Amino acid sequence: MEIDFSRISLSDNTRANEILEVILSFARQDFDKKVKIIGDDNLLDGIGSGVNMLGEELQHSTISLKEKEQLLKEIHHRVKNNMQIISSLLSLQSDGVEDEKVLSLLRESRNRINSMALVHEMLYKSHNLSQIALKEYIESLSVTVRRSYALPDSVIEFCYDIGDDIYFDIDKMIPIGLILNEAISNSLKYAFPDKKGCINISLESKETKYTLIISDNGTGLREDFDVELHSHLGIQLIHMLTEQLDGKVTLESKAGVNYSICF
Amino acid sequence: MYIKICIILKGNERTLSLYLYSMQIPGTAIELRAYYTWMGDDGIGRTCVKPNVDITLEDAISNTRAVTALYVDRKFPLLIDSRSVKSMSYEARHHFAVRDRETKANAFGIIIGSSISRVLGNFYLGINKPSVPTRLFDKETEAIQWLKQFVKNGN
Repeated sequence: MEIDFSRISLSDNTRANEILEVILSFARQDFDKKVKIIGDDNLLDGIGSGVNMLGEELQHSTISLKEKEQLLKEIHHRVKNNMQIISSLLSLQSDGVEDEKVLSLLRESRNRINSMALVHEMLYKSHNLSQIALKEYIESLSVTVRRSYALPDSVIEFCYDIGDDIYFDIDKMIPIGLILNEAISNSLKYAFPDKKGCINISLESKETKYTLIISDNGTGLREDFDVELHSHLGIQLIHMLTEQLDGKVTLESKAGVNYSICF
Repeated sequence: MYIKICIILKGNERTLSLYLYSMQIPGTAIELRAYYTWMGDDGIGRTCVKPNVDITLEDAISNTRAVTALYVDRKFPLLIDSRSVKSMSYEARHHFAVRDRETKANAFGIIIGSSISRVLGNFYLGINKPSVPTRLFDKETEAIQWLKQFVKNGN
């Protein structure tokens, strides 16, 4: 519908400005203002009534969106809490255990659960509830995993080369977190018999492709170590999780171990 | 019957127009705060908005009750004269969209006329998207003509 502005009177002009004020307040998500409907069957009465209805619809959509966000936060919070309960139960169960092998299995399971719980924790703390900053996640995860191995006299450094602007959603973050957990755990367990060394984690990105590199400067794999033959659960998991990312993993052992995951 | 007089400014000219907005209300019509509702002899239900009312959810619900009572065991089309409406609340609009409730009406023919009823009608169709066939009309006769097809299939 075209409006002939030459036919708009001074009082219409004032009303048009009032309508504009109301539209601007809607844009600021302030839905208290409404256009006053005079009931004179003026065109601006119709426009004003449409603006009022649009404001009501926007207000309800905004409320509904906020409620959904709140619900999503609550779900992530509960998932994280439930995972922490499972982790604590495993911790309690390991209290009376003396067998080193069983203790190690329980600790590995706990770390895997914690790496997933951290994803949910960071999601409900994030602004958009759907993406996590990879750098922040890796820094937190490294601290948690290192603490779990309780290496009091060790001097193991973590070096990161990850951009601040790299974010992933939960579907990518869970496998990435578990891969990191396995690789870091392996380094902490086997790479540094003299309790000194460095673990490097970097992420290179090229358009939509990423290469995650986790490496250490430790002793490296034994010369007779065959990835195919030694069906170590951690390495199996890394392969499986890389497949989930539609990626490819390369494991090298020169001056230390180097996992390169392209996805 | 409601008659509304509008003065339209056309450049320097002033024209006095007379609009006859409302349908004939029979004596048997159910009178509500915001509506008159009745069943026509042609099997088409009718509901007419009273002049200058702000329709609330309560008005919408009481009108639905009145419409439902028109026929006990049959579905029928409904002619809605909205030409005198002043405003309709968000809740009332959503109630009339018939999304989560049973209705006796199998089609809505809405008569529009004033600028508000025109905007409201189009808004209702475009945003609220009623779940039964709905069309807007400028003329009552055209609306009745369209609604007649639903009387035949209205069981």
